Amino acid sequence: MRLHISSLTGLSASSVAAAVQEVSLDGLETYVPLLSMSQNLAKLAQRIDFNQSSDSDEDGPERESREPWGKPEPEEDEGTVKFQPSLWPWDSVRNNLRSALTEMCVLHDVLSVLKDKKYMALDPVSQDPALTKTPQVFQLISKKKSLATAAQLLLKGAEKLTKSLAENQEQRRQRDFNSELLRLRSQWKLRKVGHKILGDLSYRSAGSLFPHHGTFEVIKNTDIDLDKKVPDDYCPLNVQIPSDLEGSAYIKVSIQKQSADIGDLGTVSLFRRQPKAKPGSQMWHLKLEAAQNVLLCKEIFAQLSREAVQIKSQIPHIVVKNQIISQPFPGLQLSISLCHSTGEKKSQRASPDKSKPDDHLYVLEHNLHQLIREVHTMPHPASSPFGHKRLRLAGPMAYDKAEISSLQQSEGLLEKIIKQAKHIFLRSRTARTIDSLASRIEDPQIQAHWSNINSVYESSVKVLITSQGYEQICKSIQLQLNIGVEQIRVVHRDGRVITLSHQEQELQDFLLSQMSQHQVHAVQQLAKVMGWHVLSFSNHVGLGPIESIGNASAITVASPSGEHAISVRNGPESGCKVLVQFPRNQAKELPKSDAVQDARWTHLRGPYREVHCGRMEGRNFVYKMELLMAALSPCP
Amino acid sequence: MEAPPVTVMPVTGGTINMMEYLLQGSVLDQSLESLLHRLRGLCDNMEPESFADHELVYLLKGQQGNPFMLRARRSLLHPTAPWHLRYLGQPEVGDKSRHALVRNCVDVAASHSLPDFLNEMGFRMDHEFVAKGQVFRKGAMKVVVSKLLRVLASGNTENTEPLSLSYLVELSVLAPAGQDTVSEDMRSFAEQLKPLVHLEKIDPKRLM
Repeated sequence: MRLHISSLTGLSASSVAAAVQEVSLDGLETYVPLLSMSQNLAKLAQRIDFNQSSDSDEDGPERESREPWGKPEPEEDEGTVKFQPSLWPWDSVRNNLRSALTEMCVLHDVLSVLKDKKYMALDPVSQDPALTKTPQVFQLISKKKSLATAAQLLLKGAEKLTKSLAENQEQRRQRDFNSELLRLRSQWKLRKVGHKILGDLSYRSAGSLFPHHGTFEVIKNTDIDLDKKVPDDYCPLNVQIPSDLEGSAYIKVSIQKQSADIGDLGTVSLFRRQPKAKPGSQMWHLKLEAAQNVLLCKEIFAQLSREAVQIKSQIPHIVVKNQIISQPFPGLQLSISLCHSTGEKKSQRASPDKSKPDDHLYVLEHNLHQLIREVHTMPHPASSPFGHKRLRLAGPMAYDKAEISSLQQSEGLLEKIIKQAKHIFLRSRTARTIDSLASRIEDPQIQAHWSNINSVYESSVKVLITSQGYEQICKSIQLQLNIGVEQIRVVHRDGRVITLSHQEQELQDFLLSQMSQHQVHAVQQLAKVMGWHVLSFSNHVGLGPIESIGNASAITVASPSGEHAISVRNGPESGCKVLVQFPRNQAKELPKSDAVQDARWTHLRGPYREVHCGRMEGRNFVYKMELLMAALSPCP
Repeated sequence: MEAPPVTVMPVTGGTINMMEYLLQGSVLDQSLESLLHRLRGLCDNMEPESFADHELVYLLKGQQGNPFMLRARRSLLHPTAPWHLRYLGQPEVGDKSRHALVRNCVDVAASHSLPDFLNEMGFRMDHEFVAKGQVFRKGAMKVVVSKLLRVLASGNTENTEPLSLSYLVELSVLAPAGQDTVSEDMRSFAEQLKPLVHLEKIDPKRLM
């Protein structure tokens, strides 16, 4: 045990100079008597702190255990120093040593007894096994519990979030349904019956009397899976259309030839417009439009088939399932068929005639729309019942049965369609005839001016036959053709009216005959211009070979001097024959006659010589004639 | 040669007994536009037709109580159109649940000598008025919106003054007797006009 002397340094400071004990009144200082060596040592011995040791590597608990009964000791030391200052200074030291010795003896005794192991044994203190492990397990359980509570909180929060999200989506779907319903209502007629929403897609408000109910039902689309992604074309509203209006339908009208000469006008499909899916339009809109189209086609077809059966015509109409077949002209077949395809089976017919941008298509559709819808007239005065105005007049005007029946509309839809078909066919065939003639024959030229505005039953065309280069001179053949339903009426410039039937050949023959007449007329006009005199002119000569088409025409013109004459005979079949008459003195063999003696008679015209028109120069007949005339009239 | 057989019994009947189903209401002048818009939307797709009619009511006073009434009506806009003569019977007292007023109705078109003819027959003109307005139709239903004008000088239809500040709205259907579905359709149509005009059956007897 090392003694800890703390104030060793202070010793040196006090030993140098004596402390002043008191200063007397006369200035005399009394010094504290210096301690002797033994007194100093005693003083230092008092300052020994047996408790405090400089060993810092003692155990904590031992230090701690020494502390409690070490603490009162400095108090005792100080107490003893305070109360008994005259005591021996080494007393405390002696006491401490003595107590230390006592303790050491006790310890020695205990150890010697222990060494014997007979009366005392050392046993380690039993460690509680749980205590050593409990910290880890306890930690685990506590961690588990805390994690569980945290997880529960998170789960609860997540659950709340998903619920609110689902509610939001549901609300959004609800709102979407209502806004879709509003949009639907703005375009279609809806009404509420009970708790169902029904709509009307028939044409009844436009005047149709078709007995189909045409109601569709609006249903909410609830087969949406919220977990999966909402598809782009998802619509919260769905319409249920009647089962017989499903799919799409159109009416196919075809005019087919049955014999070779009549042209085939082909096939058109009406009401087949595929509704283009506009970006804003919904599926229900397309569905409803398609269903309405089906209804329209059905109505039209029903009316047509009803009329086909009822009306009597020369060639009866055949109604077979979905097709009406009739023959406007012999050899021409008009078939109207209703093609209704439901969406499931893909249609196998690869129709080559897609909807052509044909004018007839829209015009015919419009006609059909108009024919289906009766145009209502309101009664005047207003209190009169509805009905046809003419019939209301029948009473006061005292019409008889014949007049009333003439007022009634007796023509049905089918008849009108057939009439229109006939007219269209006739018009196209007339055009074809004229065009083929124009392309085949170059001299004379044939021009056709079709009028732009026609009616459904009548068209007109103006046909001009001219020679190229001589249009101003030779314009005598101008024909106005009025093409009707079954006939063609030709009005000539000179006032003749000719009615041609629908036969193509008649028109062709007529035009050919007019062309041949034109040549002769042209010569007549040319003669006027050239100064030649027309000696004779006949549109229909009775001489010469008989023409099978029309009649031949002939003209004879004489030169200004009278020496030459040209005779032209033109027939549609026999072609052109030109003869020139020369004066007698130019003839090769001149028959000498005794009766005619005078030389001046030789200037008269005599023999004829034929002109080979084919070998003449000139691009057309009139030009050749002009050359001929020019050649035969000598320059003065 | 025998004379062709002549039927002994005169030909009677042959016409269907037509009944008029009627619902009436009125709108003030300022609400007329909205009503017309509504009707244009609900009724058949046509341009609304205006009319101006002159109606004369003739009475035949017999010895016994009720005078016989006939209504003669002509159009002022179409002077050449025939006159319209109408007889309206008493309203049928059917079950109270029927929604419309039902009465027998006979309509005849007549020539322009009608007023003289009626005078000769003994009818005397009770009153006359001019009605101007518009007519709509929806299928068989007719909606007439008319302003009634009083004729100040008898026979002079130019000088007129309105009877009231409102328009009379009438919904009528002419149908053969016995069809009760007509009144149902009329009621549902009247429902659609509900907030603008209330069409209901008004018994003329109760007004007198």
